[in-house]
Amino acid sequence: MIVDCHTHWGMVWEERYQGNPVEWLSILDRHQIQKAVFMGHGNLTRPDLCETENDNLVRMARQFPERLIPVGSCWPQQGKKGVAEARRLIETLRIKGLKFHPWLQGFTVADPFLGQMCGLAGEAEIPVFFHDGTPCYSLSEQIAGLARRFPSTRFVLAHAGLLWNWRSALLAARLPNVWVCLCGPHMRAIELLCRYADPDRILWGSDFGFGLSDQIEYRLNLFRRARISNPLRDQILKTNPLHLWAQ
Amino acid sequence: MTIDGYCTLGVDREYDLTETSLLNAMDRARVERAVVVPPDRFLAVYNQDGNENMQRAVRAHPDRFISTCSVNPWYGKASIEEFRRAVLEGARMLVLHPFVQGFSANDELVFEVLEAAAEERVPVYVHTGPPGNSTPWQIVDLAERYPELDLIMGHCGATDFWNDVPDATAAAPNIYLESSLARPFHFARYMEVLGKGRGILGSWAPLNDLSFEWEQMRTFIPPDVFSEICGTNLARLLAKRGAT
Repeated sequence: MIVDCHTHWGMVWEERYQGNPVEWLSILDRHQIQKAVFMGHGNLTRPDLCETENDNLVRMARQFPERLIPVGSCWPQQGKKGVAEARRLIETLRIKGLKFHPWLQGFTVADPFLGQMCGLAGEAEIPVFFHDGTPCYSLSEQIAGLARRFPSTRFVLAHAGLLWNWRSALLAARLPNVWVCLCGPHMRAIELLCRYADPDRILWGSDFGFGLSDQIEYRLNLFRRARISNPLRDQILKTNPLHLWAQ
Repeated sequence: MTIDGYCTLGVDREYDLTETSLLNAMDRARVERAVVVPPDRFLAVYNQDGNENMQRAVRAHPDRFISTCSVNPWYGKASIEEFRRAVLEGARMLVLHPFVQGFSANDELVFEVLEAAAEERVPVYVHTGPPGNSTPWQIVDLAERYPELDLIMGHCGATDFWNDVPDATAAAPNIYLESSLARPFHFARYMEVLGKGRGILGSWAPLNDLSFEWEQMRTFIPPDVFSEICGTNLARLLAKRGAT
């Protein structure tokens, strides 16, 4: 069992396959990935597409409930309307998590409506995924600030700080409600994150799906070739993702 | 000719690459030569120590390693003197790391250093990427100001400035893209758009595994492109000053 904790239903996939993830899943099959955290693309770039995309993600996940874990998004800039969409995701669509990309979506983590959304996620006990590692809206330490404000909400640094901010991700991961997803850092950073972060709160992801190309092979082999003990590698690929939703 | 365009040689903080381990990795990956660069501490402050360490390594393995030097432009005239000294001692590339060295890539602070590099016919490798003080379009500013200077855009702005790379690189013919951190699937696309003459393969060992990066590049990059980026392009730039 491998769980990929960072994938997207990219706009190119939607254009080509209109809500049918069979071909998309075949790429996962190629790498023996059984389950994926299934995030959108249109809902992170186009507020007008957000609700439709959320519905689409949930519909596809219902077709493949053993394989796809749907994670939706909403827009803090829409104010009460955005918060209502967060409620709809949680209460009506039974979404498994929220995803925010402050850089693409263009908001600051200080936005009060984002705070309301994070509070709702905490009440519903679903994790909140954040793009991280990118100035000036998506730094790991900014997400850590949210984690301090909302200690009952679990936050996932979806890129573990990427290539240049991984030390900040490591510091953020000291907070008990912050998880890191190894999706973006170079091999040495992956090794150091695995050495020093809480082993129970580390995930792995490929970021597959934004485009049509298969980048899973590179990302998975990078993780496999890193100097990490086999038990920890298995824990990250198999056990930890399931615990993220079991708490 | 196969040349790895960027390896950090030394043991300091996250770096742990010795001469022996680098040579072993090169042999495993069928890499003939590697450009060796001092760790961050020596880029930021102890420039001369770092440069001398690289020169010692190259003297021990002249057929395998290619020496670089780095100077922090905040040292002013002393940085120019150290650069010229290092070149006389055999350095064949200047490395700048604006994030680590504390300046904006297109700041006038660095102009005199670049003028010296142009005079010495030494290519300049500039780290690019977040947090934003060394971006692809800042490299264009430098490339336009010094059209005779070859500028190597380290990491292709990875990750967050990847959108800028094709247009920025196309804007100046003296910009070359170095592949480390850019990931093979993105680098293959850059080569498609910009042409195989603009690419330089670098692993940035030991932050990345040299063998793994070369293996992945051989997988993702078409053979006719690979044959250019794996050393030919860089060799052409280095040859402007003479044999390495």
